[in-house]
Amino acid sequence: MNAHPQFAEALALYAMGTLDDPKDLAALQAHLGTCGDCRRELEALRADMALLALSAVGPQPPARSRERLLGAVAAEPRLERRDPQRYTVGYLRQRWFTFAPVMVMLMLAVFSILLWRDLRNTRRTLRHTHAQLEQVQAELVRTNSELAEAKMVRDLLHAPDAWPLTLVSKKTPPQPQIKTVYSKQQGALLLMASNLTPLPENKIYQLWLLPADGSAPMPAGWFKPDGKGNGMMFHKMSAGVIAKGFAVTIEPAGGSQTPTMPIVMEPAG
Amino acid sequence: MSGTQAPNHKDDAALIARIRAGDQSAVADLYDRYAGVVYGVALRVLASTTAAEDVVQEVFLQLWRNPQAFNADRGRLAPWLAVIARNRAIDLLRKRPPEDDIDEMPISTGVNLEDEASQKLVVDKVRGILVGLPQDQRKVLEMAFFEGMTHTEIAGKTGQPLGTVKTRIRTGLLALRKVLA
Repeated sequence: MNAHPQFAEALALYAMGTLDDPKDLAALQAHLGTCGDCRRELEALRADMALLALSAVGPQPPARSRERLLGAVAAEPRLERRDPQRYTVGYLRQRWFTFAPVMVMLMLAVFSILLWRDLRNTRRTLRHTHAQLEQVQAELVRTNSELAEAKMVRDLLHAPDAWPLTLVSKKTPPQPQIKTVYSKQQGALLLMASNLTPLPENKIYQLWLLPADGSAPMPAGWFKPDGKGNGMMFHKMSAGVIAKGFAVTIEPAGGSQTPTMPIVMEPAG
Repeated sequence: MSGTQAPNHKDDAALIARIRAGDQSAVADLYDRYAGVVYGVALRVLASTTAAEDVVQEVFLQLWRNPQAFNADRGRLAPWLAVIARNRAIDLLRKRPPEDDIDEMPISTGVNLEDEASQKLVVDKVRGILVGLPQDQRKVLEMAFFEGMTHTEIAGKTGQPLGTVKTRIRTGLLALRKVLA
């Protein structure tokens, strides 16, 4: 047989009218609407069934059965078929019309499933994108807030009328002071200086990071204070360096790779 | 088919033509030729003479009402009536509502059923093939065909796997075809 093997067993059940799975039934009927080989195999299976049925032939009906039938025929005028066209269009075309609703339903079902999957995926993507957007928006708000705060700090420090003032003990005269904030993780350092001794034109103050592992001091930026001895510096360096302290030396303009003694500022205590 | 005359293809077509023309005597001829086929199949399925008579009545009356249901160009009356009778009987057995019309069901068979001797030979061969089938397979085939049981019901009743039942039904039918073709 040239019928499709995947439908072979279903065809046999269908021929007998015992294919009870609605999905299998719909799939087979749709297939039969398009496959001549399987339609021919169905006819052949019915011929097999006919042979099986003929195996039961033998007993004859009682005589009253014939009389009953002929009486019924005589009492029943021939009803003209209202749709003679139906029998002139051919078997194949009739079957096409029979299977058409099933095929349409199947196509609609497949189309609906595809649409549903697309919709589900689109919704999932949309939800994911929406979550990402909310996260970005939150980060943007936070960054803007930090930027605004940093800008206010910067503006304050650079304001012409900025009045840096360090309060100390009443009996202590103003002392040179440097405050540093260092982040090992970010490799960033902020320095704020006040009351430093003014330097000649060709000199600067240079900050040194003193590594905790005892290795040589590392340059950590330089600055030149203003006429009142105040200054501020932000310096980026390699992240991950553990510092045990900082020191300040006076170096030639442009900075040095090794500190020039003496150390003029170091951590208190 | 004892008691029937020797119908052939031309006779079938002529009978149907007469019925289409409204000739009531053609129904009598039809009955005389094929009542044994319809009744025998129905009785095998229903195991009731009264119910089998009802099937005979219904099948022939519906062919009288709609003779176009049978296409003489696409098969012969004997196998067609045998399958129609089986399906009607199964409907009764399974208590399914009767249909208003008989099926327009083409049946292609290369088996020679042109005369009584040929038909008897075919029937004997089919019975021989059925006897030669493995008992499990024959039982499955008969449960599906003569009792109208689904493969699920057969599997439940016999304890055989579903796939085995389906395969046995199909190969049982094919066994008939291979020998008779």
